[in-house]
Amino acid sequence: MAEENKIKHVIPKKALYHAAFNWETWVQCCYNYERMMGMACGHTFVPVINYLYKDDPDGAAKRKEVMEREMEFFNVHIEFGSCILGMAIALEEQKSLGEPIPGDFITSLKTSLMGPLAGIGDTIYQGVLIPILLAICIDITLTGTVWGSIAYLILMLAISYVFSFANFFFGYQQGSDAIMDFLEKGVLDKLLLGAQVMGCMVMGGLIANYVTCKCGLEIVTSGSTFNVQETLFDAVMPKILPLGFTMLVYWLMKKRWTSIKIIILIVVIGVVGGLTGILTA
Amino acid sequence: MSISVLQAVLLGILYWIGEANLPFVGLWTIQRPLVCGWIAGIILGDALTGAMVGASINLVYLGFISAGGSMPADMALAGTLGATYAITGGLDADTALALAVPIGILGTLVWYARMTLDSIFVHVGDRFVEKEQYNRIWISNVLLPQIMAAVICIIPCSLAAYFGAAYIQDFVEMLSGTPLKIFQIIGGLMPALGIAITLQYIFKGESRVFLFFGFVVAVYSGLGLLPLGVIALLIALIYVQLAYKHGNDKSSIAQDAELEEDF
Repeated sequence: MAEENKIKHVIPKKALYHAAFNWETWVQCCYNYERMMGMACGHTFVPVINYLYKDDPDGAAKRKEVMEREMEFFNVHIEFGSCILGMAIALEEQKSLGEPIPGDFITSLKTSLMGPLAGIGDTIYQGVLIPILLAICIDITLTGTVWGSIAYLILMLAISYVFSFANFFFGYQQGSDAIMDFLEKGVLDKLLLGAQVMGCMVMGGLIANYVTCKCGLEIVTSGSTFNVQETLFDAVMPKILPLGFTMLVYWLMKKRWTSIKIIILIVVIGVVGGLTGILTA
Repeated sequence: MSISVLQAVLLGILYWIGEANLPFVGLWTIQRPLVCGWIAGIILGDALTGAMVGASINLVYLGFISAGGSMPADMALAGTLGATYAITGGLDADTALALAVPIGILGTLVWYARMTLDSIFVHVGDRFVEKEQYNRIWISNVLLPQIMAAVICIIPCSLAAYFGAAYIQDFVEMLSGTPLKIFQIIGGLMPALGIAITLQYIFKGESRVFLFFGFVVAVYSGLGLLPLGVIALLIALIYVQLAYKHGNDKSSIAQDAELEEDF
């Protein structure tokens, strides 16, 4: 879309806010294998659709065409992908004002952006932001207060809504060029590198605090008892067994073990270790 | 301790809101055992125990990622029922955790049933578009799928909470001794899974060393995760500033390490 300084708008701000709200709130209410978030995309267009092709004698048919196009298959990360919705609304708006934008172009632009944004969104949101926030809030709760749960609930809601709305209007105002630009620029690399460093440190702290694995073996030799956990492992470094076990699980997952297989492995280790007394609680 | 029918139904509703992503992005919030365990605790009159058990259970699901419509484990069910059984049966957190994880695996059935059945309502939505009744799309996108989700979420969860709570105490008494110790060992090991899954996403390239740095700092200083998180944030800022001091030469490394795998 050619970016000019004076772009005409026919959709009022209020309708746009309503659209962004519809997206963030109802997006996964009818999550399904056939179209994934397709209908949620259509639902997002409901508040704005009647502002398009208002003076067009053929408006009803054209509006229907827009809605049919927006009900198609769509799947993206909710918050990172909301800019695509903003962009699609802007494109449909300009198209309704007579810009020569083919309908297929809008669909293919949406489809081509959803892959990268889903990848980045899932990594940053579910791979970094949520684990770090959870780790800290879990730690607070486990000191014996409910405030960790409350803080997580409020922070996560605030972050999700603010980011989703801001990203929606970023897409609406800046268009596809700006989204592509962001995907290619170094900002993202910096963010990812910083997130990885911080995430790794917090995970290291989590292993030390919450993974428990103790050796229960005691070797009795002529009057003296040799406690393997205290005399051997704790002397090397406390918590060395939890660290080793976590790295083992990490390595197995790199070898494409599924989480269910790992759970079965943990149960087996627990049963064998508990019965033989090699491991203790 | 047994629970009333009303409490069981409320627990079912809690699970429905968490699982079916009803309003307020349940996916990111109420679905997490840290949150739904706390609310289950409120329903059962012991918010603190609920929150603490939920927090322990949540360690397993730290980095669980639902991408492309997959759901590796149903943490909402694990958190709701895990906290319920812990409160009614007087379980400790590790035992509740070992009990909750299989429940979470069972719960994925509900997610897959929902994802499949929801396809029906897409065609109802198509019909509304066909008739140009755009204002009714919320019926097909929200109302109908949520009624369906309520049926498949509330009924099993309420039943499991009601009957489970009645028998959990006998069950635990039966287990006392070595079996209970095994449960505790399993519960102690499980958080490694949640951490390892998270590490799939962030344990890359130059950031690897910081895992061991964070571990050593936590072991020897005994710092909680909030102060450790603040220190980690500052170190991340310093590190990124230094890495990008000499132009753009680092960016390609970070990109190689991160982006290629996830698309």
